[in-house]
Amino acid sequence: MATVSLKNINKTYANGHQAIENLNLDITDGEMLVLVGPSGCGKSTSLRMVAGLETISGGDLYIDDVRVNNLEPSERDIAMVFQNYALYPHMSVYQNMAYGLKNRKVPKDEIQKKVEKAAEILEITNLLHNKPGQLSGGQRQRVAMGRAIVRNPKVFLFDEPLSNLDAKLRVQMRIEIKRLQQEFATTAIYVTHDQVEAMTLADRLVVMNEGNVEQVGPPIELYEKPATQFVAGFLGSPAMNFLDASLNGNRLTLSPDVVLDLNDPNLPTGAHDLEVVLGIRPEHMEACDEAGADFTLSVDMIEPLGADTLLYGYFPGTDTLITSEQPGKQQFKRGHRLALRIDRERCHLFDKATGKRLGS
Amino acid sequence: MVENRPWLTVTRHLVLILGVFVIGFPIWIALVASTNSSSEFVSGLMPLWFGDEGFGNFRRVLSNEERVLGVSVSASWMMWNSFIMAMVIAVGKIVISILSAYAIVYFRFPFRKTCFWLIFLTLMLPVEVRILPTYEVVASLGMLNSYAGLTIPLIASATATFLFRQFFMSVPSSLMEAARIDGAGPFKFFKDILLPLSVNNIAALFVILFIYGWNQYLWPLLITTDEDYYTIVMVIKRLMSAGEGNIPWNIIMTTTILAMLPPVIVVLGMQKLFVKGLIEQEK
Repeated sequence: MATVSLKNINKTYANGHQAIENLNLDITDGEMLVLVGPSGCGKSTSLRMVAGLETISGGDLYIDDVRVNNLEPSERDIAMVFQNYALYPHMSVYQNMAYGLKNRKVPKDEIQKKVEKAAEILEITNLLHNKPGQLSGGQRQRVAMGRAIVRNPKVFLFDEPLSNLDAKLRVQMRIEIKRLQQEFATTAIYVTHDQVEAMTLADRLVVMNEGNVEQVGPPIELYEKPATQFVAGFLGSPAMNFLDASLNGNRLTLSPDVVLDLNDPNLPTGAHDLEVVLGIRPEHMEACDEAGADFTLSVDMIEPLGADTLLYGYFPGTDTLITSEQPGKQQFKRGHRLALRIDRERCHLFDKATGKRLGS
Repeated sequence: MVENRPWLTVTRHLVLILGVFVIGFPIWIALVASTNSSSEFVSGLMPLWFGDEGFGNFRRVLSNEERVLGVSVSASWMMWNSFIMAMVIAVGKIVISILSAYAIVYFRFPFRKTCFWLIFLTLMLPVEVRILPTYEVVASLGMLNSYAGLTIPLIASATATFLFRQFFMSVPSSLMEAARIDGAGPFKFFKDILLPLSVNNIAALFVILFIYGWNQYLWPLLITTDEDYYTIVMVIKRLMSAGEGNIPWNIIMTTTILAMLPPVIVVLGMQKLFVKGLIEQEK
């Protein structure tokens, strides 16, 4: 039961590299906040600053309205799950989970009760006397989770906890983590580079890039209304297509042959030859007959995924490779000419210079 | 290898047998000589088969009642001296080097790198090179003819520090971070996590360092004039230069066998841990 608040947090390394610039975040009680971004965006650094494993160069960090900048990690009442699990190899599962409690001078019988209960929740009771070396990746992950929940901390911190698991286990553990976090209603910060993990786990999502926050909000909002071109390109799989265009009022010119009339009252009025980028998701280009088509895609490469098929080709008259997602039941061949219509309601426009979203 | 060529097998075995012979024959000679009476050696030839003086030789050397060793102390006393020296050196080296490696790897302090390189540089200065200044220091501290003098100057070890440093650097930093979150301070982390993880390395080092300490010759020779502090290795050489005619080979070889025993026991006893420590990393 806790809130976490980051106020103007800065991180500058000794070599002068600024990893985080003025980070402001408020995490409400029981919320699962996911930090996502490419490697080097500062998401792990932010998490480690909350944990107390990195010093904070500037700004204030509050847990439950107490400033914790100068507290040791153990005094912040947090628990962290590491990417490589960081289990103590020479200790049994039981000892691993009990170690934090033991250091806090919790009585022995109470430790036993807590560890056994946590083990039961995670279904690892039969592993309590094994060493981590004898466990599979998924089991180790459970033990690492157990070590976190056994202390019943104010905040859970997850540092890419699923990256070392295989794809199937990852999906399973993802659901597990979500279930546990909701059950305990504990505030959690979760760092990942995997946007699917981010979308599925987050109550609120923070997309970071080069030490700055690009956008904060519920995952669906970020997916449907990305505030910047970076967010638009980062979220969604397959990734959004970007096409250079110029905007005159409501009229978008992609190429001499492809001109779209957008029906968006929020576009900047009086735009004249404004250089913009059109973002359109692969699933928002519909196959249609030649007459209603905006353009024809000459299919260069095909990736059948079963439910859907991904088609790659160059947008006519440019060297921009674009992706279209079509229902899987239809068979395609290389060289197929596919007439496509762009969904006007699902167009995202970004200012080419600033990368900021235009219109609604 | 899947090849099956008879002459290759024969050669292979010949080479191995030759190797065993080269190593084994001197030990055989020593063992046989230690069981013969001194009269067997008058001809100048080493006997090649056991005599019947085995018990007598060992008893005489271990008790030294008849002053067969040419000194006033017995072989058992000198073995005790050697044992103390080897143990203190081995344990001391391990304690000092594991602590300094811990400091160098896990703590950020000014001139950390410099400290490491200074320690590393001492690799270039083994005991033999710095023996005179070391003697001078030990003498002015009044540590001649003492266990402290025998052991302390040999305790500092760059090699062991370096080995522990390499091992600590291979321990994932997230273990230390997890321990910090679990409320373990620097000392607890060292005691609860790092030390148990280092057990194999410590065992391997102990074997090497025990033998190193046991086999010290030059240093004890230099700083002990009181026979009470003589080590077993020193006395072998003294027996050989006993002079006037007959060298007591049976006594020398008996002492040699005794001097070889403790290192052999240590190696055999810790073989498993020793091999583990040198080749295996705990995951």
